Amino acid sequence: MYVKLISSDGCEFIVKREHALTSGPVKTMLSGPGQFAENKTNEVSFREIPSRVLSKVCMYFTYKIQYTNSSKEIPEFRIAPEIPLELLMAANFLDC
Amino acid sequence: RSRTIGELLAPAAPFDKKCGRENWTVAFAPDGSYFAWSQGHRTVKLVPWSQCLKNFLLHGTKNITNSSNLRLSRQNSDGGQKNKPREHIIDCGDIVWSLAFGSSVPEKQSRCVNIEWHRFRFGQDQLLLATGLNSGRIKIWDVYTGKLLLNLVDHTEVVRDLTFAPDGSLILVSASRDKTLRVWDLKDDGNMMKVLRGHQNWVYSCAFSPDSSMLCSVGASKAVFLWNMDKYTMIRKLEGHHHDVVACDFSPDGALLATASYDTRVYIWDPHTGAILMEFGHLFPPPTPIFAGGANDRWVRSVSFSHDGLHIASLADDKMVRFWRIDEDYPVQVAPLSNGLCCAFSTDGSVLAAGTHDGSVYFWATPRHVPSLQHLCRMSIRRVMPTQEVQELPVPSKVLEFLSYRV
Repeated sequence: MYVKLISSDGCEFIVKREHALTSGPVKTMLSGPGQFAENKTNEVSFREIPSRVLSKVCMYFTYKIQYTNSSKEIPEFRIAPEIPLELLMAANFLDC
Repeated sequence: RSRTIGELLAPAAPFDKKCGRENWTVAFAPDGSYFAWSQGHRTVKLVPWSQCLKNFLLHGTKNITNSSNLRLSRQNSDGGQKNKPREHIIDCGDIVWSLAFGSSVPEKQSRCVNIEWHRFRFGQDQLLLATGLNSGRIKIWDVYTGKLLLNLVDHTEVVRDLTFAPDGSLILVSASRDKTLRVWDLKDDGNMMKVLRGHQNWVYSCAFSPDSSMLCSVGASKAVFLWNMDKYTMIRKLEGHHHDVVACDFSPDGALLATASYDTRVYIWDPHTGAILMEFGHLFPPPTPIFAGGANDRWVRSVSFSHDGLHIASLADDKMVRFWRIDEDYPVQVAPLSNGLCCAFSTDGSVLAAGTHDGSVYFWATPRHVPSLQHLCRMSIRRVMPTQEVQELPVPSKVLEFLSYRV
């Protein structure tokens, strides 16, 4: 039901599994055949993504699940001016 | 491909005459409060947009008598309330070719503008409607009261397009068949600040970049020009179209410029470098330059960027409206529309309005889509960074290409 995403600075983000599966690579890491340790513990560690970026990624997961295939108006997803470049790199890695 | 659902109809009042009915222009107010269109026969109709939307939704489920009751009750309730937006019909006295809403409230956080009011009231959000007429005159109206505020006289020919700077400075640019563009300062009683010369032929359309630093003007004889709006000099000419260029629009992050031409194509350019990034054709196979440069029955009349920066809408003479995604070669949705002349997305991007030859306006629900996080970051970065700066970023080349919209 829930998985744990761990940032490079040790912050743990607990999100719904369905939300985390928005990211193809995360999905692969969580459901791959036994090679990845994450498969057993439902945890993924990101050694290159700091918490300020990973927190925003988690917010995006929620945003995406909430407004995909919904008739509600899609509000703006705000990104603070300091992080877009790092966030882009993380999003690129996570393919989301 | 697939058809749009949620097609909403709002026909204008019927007129008998054959010509003079054209709806050359439609516009939404920057804050989404009003919608205006030129009804033909020299009038412009202004409707409060939220009421308009409510009427559409009800038209779909209830019958006509109920909706006329609604109209009546709206008029009654409007009586005593000053702040509620009201419907207006404005008689401009001449054929209306262009419309633009101007607001003293900046659309986005862009350049800092020191606003000092002379004629207009302090502390009040001013919403203006500029109308460009057949004679070359431009009339400025107050949207809330429907009153005429200013008369700008200088163009000698049809004012084909009008656009306000999005930074709330109430700078208005007009594009005319007299081959010039003029820059007016509406805070300074409509003082004409500058004449932009360079076009050799009719100027069809103009558009400001979202940060108000650049203006694009397009016109006959394949012209696409970019102007620096701090110094009022021409930055560059964009070459590529084979026929008259009739419409232009910037993406919401200012990183892309879309132009529509009678050569059957819409081009997406990088306005910072002048390179063509994408091409959307309306004729297959693509026409040869000679065919493209003539009467090919597939003139593209209008193009508009959606607010998510991912979709554009185009109107062409083959009686179709097309919605495109900028990362795909084929339209994602199409809808039939005869004699479409102009189109515009609503302020929140949820509706596309298109005006036709007989003075009507048609509305479609736009394709709803949650953008990828990568695209959201890209827009956030490109809003403040031109392509040249992007090239200097310490990121892998794949990311650089993505940021430059070159994927």
